[in-house]
Amino acid sequence: MPHLDAAYRFARWLSRSPADADDVVQEAYLRAFRGFDRLRGSDVKAWLLTIVRNCHASAHRQQQRRATVALPGEDDEPAGSALPAPGPDPESASIGADEQRTLERLIAALPDEHREVLLLREMEEMSYREIAAVTGLPIGTVMSRLARARAGLRGRWLEESEGEPRAVR
Amino acid sequence: MQCAEQYRVQAYFDGEVDALSAIDIERHAERCPDCRTLLEDLARTRAHLRRELPFETAPAPLRARIQRALDAQSGAPRAAPRALPASRTRPFWLGALGSLGAALAAGAAVLLLMPVRPDPVLDEIVTAHVRSLMPEHLTDVVSTDRHTVRPWFAGHADVSPVVADFAPEGYRLIGGRADYFERQRAAAVVYQHGAHVINVFAWVAGRDALPEATTRSGYHLAFWRVGNLEYCAVSDAGWDELRRLERLLRDLGAREQMP
Repeated sequence: MPHLDAAYRFARWLSRSPADADDVVQEAYLRAFRGFDRLRGSDVKAWLLTIVRNCHASAHRQQQRRATVALPGEDDEPAGSALPAPGPDPESASIGADEQRTLERLIAALPDEHREVLLLREMEEMSYREIAAVTGLPIGTVMSRLARARAGLRGRWLEESEGEPRAVR
Repeated sequence: MQCAEQYRVQAYFDGEVDALSAIDIERHAERCPDCRTLLEDLARTRAHLRRELPFETAPAPLRARIQRALDAQSGAPRAAPRALPASRTRPFWLGALGSLGAALAAGAAVLLLMPVRPDPVLDEIVTAHVRSLMPEHLTDVVSTDRHTVRPWFAGHADVSPVVADFAPEGYRLIGGRADYFERQRAAAVVYQHGAHVINVFAWVAGRDALPEATTRSGYHLAFWRVGNLEYCAVSDAGWDELRRLERLLRDLGAREQMP
């Protein structure tokens, strides 16, 4: 199955729990291979991640409708700080686990629309054009969100480390 | 960190600028302490993320689960009435590939399973447009005179599209550029309308049906055909503004077609 790892990582960052991520990925691949979401253009990875993103959005909307207690608003600015970060990968949990957890927490605290462009760029190494395709944003917006996401992450990291010079600035 | 060049510096860091702009930005960063710091920060953040964040892979049970679901579906024709020929065998994609008699990469398999043939030229066009918006990349020949731009194409592209300066109508001719689409050279005529750049691409008609007008990545694409040339106007300008330029160029092309 093409790009399943990338789709899974992306879903993990979008979703609040591993089980939700699994469901989103499965739904996305079924949609993709049923041909419900037509592939436009030749970029298969961007296309699949777009479907993952859409599936997450509809699952999230359903959850919100069902929820008796409102979740923190996903689109509100830094409201995400209370949200749990995805659990650490047990195999890499030995060395630098603290630092990894801190970083995961800081990323989870970014606004959703910043986090997704940051991860697509830095972890999936997608081009601006590909990120624009996945998120449905104009390229210019991708650039500005990416800049804000990076600045936001640096700022939060600086606050955490309180001026440690070797930390991410 | 508020240097006006910060987005260009970021685009440079992300490998999104051409070689000429890269040199320009490097020179700027030598003089600008803010941008130098920004570059260091960007590199440090990236290194940190890639070192610390888990690079997870899809768990095997999930992979198996999806495979089972797809196989189950491939045995249920109602699920995808138009997607595949009837002669499918399990597993789902091997069957599809086998019936086509070709060993194809998984990515290509996705293309083949789609009910409608995709249209990579649209992506090529948007990419070319976006690339043209990067600094120093807009035009190869700068001129507001169609008598300069048009002969230039004769030597640099396989096509000779209609070119005119529509400044009175609000579409200023900026220049021309050579590009590649569908593995042939194409001409790009660049117009400016207010704050918007409009690329009008032209290539020799090769397919039966032109793509329909569409919007991708925030850019509008309008297509038309005059004689043996196909045109595509692409811009972030509004539809009406794009259509108006299309009409001007269609009329001009039609006049030139007349003996």
